[in-house]
Amino acid sequence: MTLVLGIETSCDETAAAVVDENFRVLSSIVESSIDEHRAFGGVVPELAGRAHVTTIGPVVRRALDDAGLDPSEPAIAGLAVTSGPGLIGSLLVGLSTTKALSLAWGVPYVGVNHLEGHLFAPLLESKDLEWPLMTLLVSGGHSLIVRQSGPGQHEVLGETIDDAAGEAYDKVARWLGLGYPGGPEIDRLAKDGLADALKLPVSMIGDDFDLSFSGLKTAVVRATEAHREISLEDVAASFQSALCEQLLRKLRQSLERFEVRGVALAGGVAANSALRAGVTQLAKEFGLECHLPTMAMCTDNAAMVAAAGLFRLSSGVPSQLNLSARPNWQLADVT
Amino acid sequence: MNILAIETATPACAMALRTSDGVELSFVVDDERHHTEALTPGIRDLLIQAGITPKAIDRVVVDRGPGLFTGLRVGIATAIGFALGASADLVGVTSLELLAHGALRGGVRGTLVSAVDGRRGEVFVQTFELDDDVTPVSEPIVSIPQSVADEWTKRGDAVTFTGDGVARYETLFLPLAAGAIFDQRVPPALEALRLGLDRPKEALIVPLYLREADAVANFTTRERSQ
Ligand SMILES: [Zn+2]
Repeated sequence: MTLVLGIETSCDETAAAVVDENFRVLSSIVESSIDEHRAFGGVVPELAGRAHVTTIGPVVRRALDDAGLDPSEPAIAGLAVTSGPGLIGSLLVGLSTTKALSLAWGVPYVGVNHLEGHLFAPLLESKDLEWPLMTLLVSGGHSLIVRQSGPGQHEVLGETIDDAAGEAYDKVARWLGLGYPGGPEIDRLAKDGLADALKLPVSMIGDDFDLSFSGLKTAVVRATEAHREISLEDVAASFQSALCEQLLRKLRQSLERFEVRGVALAGGVAANSALRAGVTQLAKEFGLECHLPTMAMCTDNAAMVAAAGLFRLSSGVPSQLNLSARPNWQLADVT
Repeated sequence: MNILAIETATPACAMALRTSDGVELSFVVDDERHHTEALTPGIRDLLIQAGITPKAIDRVVVDRGPGLFTGLRVGIATAIGFALGASADLVGVTSLELLAHGALRGGVRGTLVSAVDGRRGEVFVQTFELDDDVTPVSEPIVSIPQSVADEWTKRGDAVTFTGDGVARYETLFLPLAAGAIFDQRVPPALEALRLGLDRPKEALIVPLYLREADAVANFTTRERSQ
């Protein structure tokens, strides 16, 4: 059996997981420092870095224990670690720990792109996944539409030109005086609101696949200033509806343009109920297999990193011990 | 016992190794803040030169600061990974005490102030008494170089300064009538081997930051002023 230990520390989650060659998850541990960031309305890089360095040891140990592996001599074929994109001070904690483990155990490791990790998440949950696949990857830091012809073979069709979808949720939540992160709260409020209470623009309706959310945020600010009597629920529902509509229109466009067998949703915003419903509907309409991640697979985790690493280690060359973190590593630059 | 020491509190990336056969090696592999890139390859080369395998390491001693936050996290995360992978004990020492022990070995006696550059116009300092051994006489604190210089000018006692914090603000420390400077910029990793030998092993090593994260400091100030 070929096992890979994955390690992920690109943002506020410290995670470790063991995955086998059939993409079966033997263990997956995720510790988040989100509670330390709430008061600041966003992830504070220095606090995230501090949390990682205290958490990384216990998290890796638990991932090994849960998989029944002996920390002194685990029967693994290699390690995979997120080496970018992400917060530099966070990335290097996982990277340093991984390199040291690689040296101590005498097994290879590979630096993996975090976004490619997200693209491997459906493989962990859908065993009979068929290619090609259209994936909408939306999180607090990223928003992309990616066409995958096979594992590790991806083409970025479009991405956000300004804010990420999750970032738009956070900014609107802050404007409305809601807590951080904004996604879950707005999603909850939206269920009791009217989606057409506010007239909000659905931006970026060109025939390309690029996305944009900063105009929407500004429109929410203007509209709520003009209609002070409007309820939070109605604002939430109107905003969520406009945001999802943009994403779904672009996804629809991509499905009209390219022939695929399935459609997948990935990243933190994949937890959003309206988006899940919309993607499910779209998949049905096009007669495609629909891959919605479980809640645990939406958030950053190390199982997806291990899965990407499994592929990279088996198909390419392992990373050298002098590897640097790449905080701005684009998915399009992954080769 | 085979011991590995890791030192990343300053822009330098340093390491040392002593084997049970008494082979003692020490490297400074980089001095330009390339800890992430330089540290693990340096450890690998050190092990190769000493002729032992990574798993033969029984104890990892790491400098937990104070010093560069990023460097410390690279050093400690590396120590954590290595100790876990090699089933070795993990032990922490401080940059300021390493400098004091380095000064003692260099022949300094009497009162010594270790100072590590904390950036942003600040230094991390601690005072020691050096005779046969090193005895701390104050806690490690963060301060500004001018205050440290003023304090010792006022006291007028004989004192020696050491560390990269002194090197950086040499013009402040040199004129102190009673002061002398022991030029030592990198906390010596060889001293970490000796100090770490009889320290109890720790389950968790946390960096000695001595300074809150900026956001927290600003936030607390804002809350107070409201
Ligand atoms: Zn992510």
